[in-house]
Amino acid sequence: MNPPVHFLFEGAFDCDSFLGFARHRADRLDIDLDVNACSGTRVSLSVCGQEALVDMFEMACSLGPTDCIVMDVTRSDA
Amino acid sequence: MSSEAAWVPVALSASIEPGTSAGAVVEGAELVVWRDAKGVAHVWEDRCPHRGMRMSFGFVRGDHIACLYHGWSYDTAGQCRHIPAHPDLDVPKTIKIATYAVEEAGGVIWTRLATAAQAADPLPTMGTNLPVRSLYADCSAAHALAILKQTQLPVGKDETYPARLQVVTPHAWTLEAGALSLSIAVQVIGPQKIGLHILADEGSVDLIAALARWAQALRLALEAPVTVAEVA
Repeated sequence: MNPPVHFLFEGAFDCDSFLGFARHRADRLDIDLDVNACSGTRVSLSVCGQEALVDMFEMACSLGPTDCIVMDVTRSDA
Repeated sequence: MSSEAAWVPVALSASIEPGTSAGAVVEGAELVVWRDAKGVAHVWEDRCPHRGMRMSFGFVRGDHIACLYHGWSYDTAGQCRHIPAHPDLDVPKTIKIATYAVEEAGGVIWTRLATAAQAADPLPTMGTNLPVRSLYADCSAAHALAILKQTQLPVGKDETYPARLQVVTPHAWTLEAGALSLSIAVQVIGPQKIGLHILADEGSVDLIAALARWAQALRLALEAPVTVAEVA
C-alpha cells in the first residue's frame, strides 16, 4: 500500500459539487479518499492508491466540476 | 417508450463487420456497437470512462476496443486492460464501461438496456435474414406505422402490391405482399427519429435493388410534411 498523499485545492468551491466529483473520480480510479476539510475557498483531501492513478486523480480534480474553479493545487506526499 | 427488458435493434448484422465499430442511439441512450475479430458483437455505453470520448470512434484490435483519444483499451467484458501512458499500471477493476446483453437473430443485432438480473422479453422472431438496408428518418414510430399501412411493395418488374402490415412486437414489424415477405426491426432513437432495419426473405434476392429503391422512397414519405388533413 502506498503512503497517503495530501492535496490542498484553493479556489472557489461548492463543497457538495466538488466533493461529489472527487468521490466519483476516486471510486473510478480505485483510490481511498478522506476529506479533511472543505470551505468555499479551500478543500483538503488525503488519498491513497497507485501512484499513476493518484496523478490522474490530481489532474481530474484540478479541472473539477463546472461550478467550481481551482486556482492552485498543493501536493504533499507523506 | 419501451421497457428495459425489451430487445431493441441497433444495426443490421451485415453492417458491422469484424474489427469495426459504429455508434447507435436507443431512446436517447448513446451506444457503441462493435464486432471483435472472432465475429462476436458487443453493445456498450458509447463513452470512455477516461475523458468521455465516444468509443464508437475507437479502433478494434483482436478482442479489444481502444479509445481513439488516449488509447485506453478494453476487453470484451468492458474492463480496461491497458493504458498506454502507464504501461506498467495494474489497471483497477473500477475502470470499466457499462455493457449490455446482445443477441443476433434474423440478420439483426439486438440489445436490451437492462441489468443482467432483470428478466428478458423473448427475442422477436422475424423469419427473414436477407439485409436490404437500414433507413433513418425524422419521424415517430407511430407515424412510420401509419405510412407503412398504406405502402405498396415491389413484387416484380414494375409491379407493386399493397402490403399487409403486422406488428409482431413494438420493435419488430412485418410486411407481406404476394410471395414477398419483409421484416422491419424498429429502433426508436428519439421521439421524432427512428431507424428501420429492413430485411427480406432469402427468396427475394432478385428484388433487393427494387426494395432498396422502395426504402429510399419510404424515407421521403416518412419525412414529408404532415398535411392539415392528416393532423385532423
